[in-house]
Amino acid sequence: MSERNWHSHRDAKNARLAGAAKLLDGKFAKTEDVVKVLEALIKPGDKVVLEGDNQKQASFLSAALTKVDAAKVHDLHMIMSSISRPEHLDIFDLGIASKMDFSYAGPQSTRVSQMIADNTMQVGDIHTYLELFGRLFIDLIPNVVLVAADKVDHEGNLYTGFNTEETPTIVEAAAFHDGIVIVQANDVVDKVPRVDIPAGWVDVVIPADKPYQLEPLFTRDPQAISELQILMGMMAIRGIYEKHNVQTLNHGVGFNTSAIELLLPTYGEQLGLKGKICRNWELNPTPTLIPAIESGWVESIHSFGGEVGMEKYIMARPDIFFVGNDGTMRSNRALGQVAGQYACDMFVGSTLQIDQFGNSSTVTHGRLSGFGGAPNMGSNPTGRRHSTPAWQSLKPADDPLAKGQKLVVQMVETFGSNKKPVFVDHLDAEEVRKEAKLANVPIMIYTEDTTHILTEEGIAYLYKTDSMEERKAAIEAVAGVTPVGLRSKPQEVKNLRERGIVALPEDIGVRRQDAKRSLLAAQTMDDLVEWSHGLYNPPVKFRSWS
Amino acid sequence: MEKLNFTYQNSQPVKKFVHVGVVASGDLEVLIYPAEKTTLEIVTGSDGFKEVWQNVLDRFFTRYPLQGKFVIHDFGATPGVVNLRLTQAMEELNDEE
Amino acid sequence: MKSLWLFPGQGGQKAGMLKEVDPVLKEKVEHWTKVRLLDSEGGYQNSQQIQLSILLLQVGQVDRLKAKGWKPDLVAGHSLGVFAAAYAANVIKQEDVFKLVSLRAKLMQDSYPQGYGMGVIVGLSRQEAQQLVDQVASADQQVYLSNQNAELQNTLSGKITAIEAVLELARKSGAAKAKLLRVPNPSHSPLMQEVADQLRAALHQLDLTEPNCIYLANNNGHPVKTVEEISYDLANNLTHPVFWETMINVALEYDSQVSVEFSPGTAFTKLLKSKTDQIANIALADLTIDDADFLLNKWEGKS
Repeated sequence: MSERNWHSHRDAKNARLAGAAKLLDGKFAKTEDVVKVLEALIKPGDKVVLEGDNQKQASFLSAALTKVDAAKVHDLHMIMSSISRPEHLDIFDLGIASKMDFSYAGPQSTRVSQMIADNTMQVGDIHTYLELFGRLFIDLIPNVVLVAADKVDHEGNLYTGFNTEETPTIVEAAAFHDGIVIVQANDVVDKVPRVDIPAGWVDVVIPADKPYQLEPLFTRDPQAISELQILMGMMAIRGIYEKHNVQTLNHGVGFNTSAIELLLPTYGEQLGLKGKICRNWELNPTPTLIPAIESGWVESIHSFGGEVGMEKYIMARPDIFFVGNDGTMRSNRALGQVAGQYACDMFVGSTLQIDQFGNSSTVTHGRLSGFGGAPNMGSNPTGRRHSTPAWQSLKPADDPLAKGQKLVVQMVETFGSNKKPVFVDHLDAEEVRKEAKLANVPIMIYTEDTTHILTEEGIAYLYKTDSMEERKAAIEAVAGVTPVGLRSKPQEVKNLRERGIVALPEDIGVRRQDAKRSLLAAQTMDDLVEWSHGLYNPPVKFRSWS
Repeated sequence: MEKLNFTYQNSQPVKKFVHVGVVASGDLEVLIYPAEKTTLEIVTGSDGFKEVWQNVLDRFFTRYPLQGKFVIHDFGATPGVVNLRLTQAMEELNDEE
Repeated sequence: MKSLWLFPGQGGQKAGMLKEVDPVLKEKVEHWTKVRLLDSEGGYQNSQQIQLSILLLQVGQVDRLKAKGWKPDLVAGHSLGVFAAAYAANVIKQEDVFKLVSLRAKLMQDSYPQGYGMGVIVGLSRQEAQQLVDQVASADQQVYLSNQNAELQNTLSGKITAIEAVLELARKSGAAKAKLLRVPNPSHSPLMQEVADQLRAALHQLDLTEPNCIYLANNNGHPVKTVEEISYDLANNLTHPVFWETMINVALEYDSQVSVEFSPGTAFTKLLKSKTDQIANIALADLTIDDADFLLNKWEGKS
């Protein structure tokens, strides 16, 4: 009986690297050789992670990948956090890739939907970020990873800085299972400010022709915040944050949460809540949190990724952010998602549709945007054991073996800006499941995990309901004049209010007349710059002068 | 451009004139005058929403049965914004009491 | 700087719109098609007059813009506009495209007797509109959901009595607008199959070339890059809805930064502006080619 080769992966890796040796000087390849390098190191059918993170895109490598000879490199199985750039899909048109496992596809949702429908792209599955990262170590172990770094030294040590995001996680999965790690770097330097990823984990470095693409996804202009969003923000602070004593939290990106951030130093201050709530955050460094930071509300912020324009401000506030001893921030999506799951009292987000039962979805016909981080952040981790006041406040009173629960809040106006109802009897996602050939209906956050729904009408404290019937009634009470809301009966609403399951603004002492833009700590981008003592540098598209 | 009219049997007469909101895009202005009956005159730039207005007003008046003459100038507000302005007017009226 | 060139279809024509057109080109077109272009109110009651004149306007503008060195990254034509789009993508030659559209217009003019046409519904989702169509449509009352112009703007095509029945249901369902369109045949529905068959036969005879940019297809809203797929769209878009909203969503996903709308009118620039402020817009109905060239240079310098 012949001996099994127990190091076949290692042998295969060495063979590939040997095949590319003439293109490499140590670990370094020339910028102009990028396509040849990819053709030498990637084999048909490979599992390839291409760094499409939420913010950072390995754009030099993704453009190069579209130029490889499809006769040599084809049928790749791509694994991507975020399908963000057109060329991420062009490789399917070109026959270079045929299968995709991903998490988020917001920026390419229409084309993704089309490619699934006409079988140009076969989807393995859609995941939440942390789930995809986990599979990199189990059944989606990559053969090749294509990542981006800011700086690299001559040995190959990488500095990824503010926008570290998931790079270390992706690289680790390859580096320790004989995958090949190919890095595009903005700059080659003598000494990196700090080592984010050690050279020993890196196989090939290619200096890029221009810096990797970076999008400011979490910046929201305060001028666009409406009075309705301010009213909802006030209700959130009073009826949820204060009521449950929320100390640790994550805000999903959006105008609703930006409004809350800007109401802390004003409305929150009026309620005497500084130091009592919102102390420790898992959050991308959103500029709208600057006033709360400057006013002394915030103890710490850990981030999934960076945010363009916030760099100098962060460097000047190392007590708050996670900053290396070189002075620049380090982000980490994998650890941030773990923190968001287990270490936060509350997640607050928004959505496009909520059904009569309380399930939420952002999926609409013809656009498959995937999940991103929300299913993870917006779920109750039953593995959690440590108790905090907020988590404990949701413990059911009647069960001696019960424990607390994470607050998962969905904040929505009853009608979208297109005047279509947000509350519907059946989610579009139910139809999309069939269109996109998915195993299950792509629900973002399930009703069993949703503890509160907040609309412009009021708050439904779903965690207090005892049955699905009661849950539906609570939703109907705050669903306005949507088809769902029109089923609500006045007597039922009265009853639910008396039992504290539904609260209208007057029930929690929130005055709608106070919902004015002047209540925001900052009303313009300029105000934010001023709050930051000139350290915040808004990206071009947010500047009001041109 | 549409003009809509509604009447209701409400039980809480308003005691003073009230004016909230602005005629800006996505917004509306609400003027309420004391009167013997509850009537509403709505001028709106968004056509075809009569049923939605009916629903919004039914829901509002069920919770806050204000009696008075309402004049509304709407510039494409969503039902949520309409509810905001109506309830702001309601609060302003309650402040007097 | 990625640019998206938009080509409107019928609807915006008006008397005198051919004033600035190159007389040499106009003469060639009249010679190829044997149609004298009247450019008059009366003339524009006739399909050939409308379609050839709009195409002439657009082809003339494409030539002049390309002469200044500009090229599109993506082209999107609406209905009739697909022909100028294909021309701009280098797929079809001048003489061929005019002859083809002349044939198309003639076939369309003769295809349906009175009593057929189109309508529009604003304020209902496509799914909602489809449900209403399903309630009315029958072998006798033919009506189809046709163009997807915006998220909440869809057209109907078919027998006028059937369309009117759907419009009435739409009004009752809370549509903001539900009315007939001044279009004399049921374009963009299966009822136009015979016209499509003849167009396909005509296209088969032509020498077409591979596109040099992305062409957004009416019939399914996909970005296509092959001459076969474009040829299919040119022949068959009359029997399919124009999936304009999808086409534009795809154009945005390709990172378009600039849009140029060709004459006549500015309808699609308006639609685009109400959808996003991420794109810088030019409408050639409002600007001279020189002014457009100036703006494009200015924006290119900034990007």
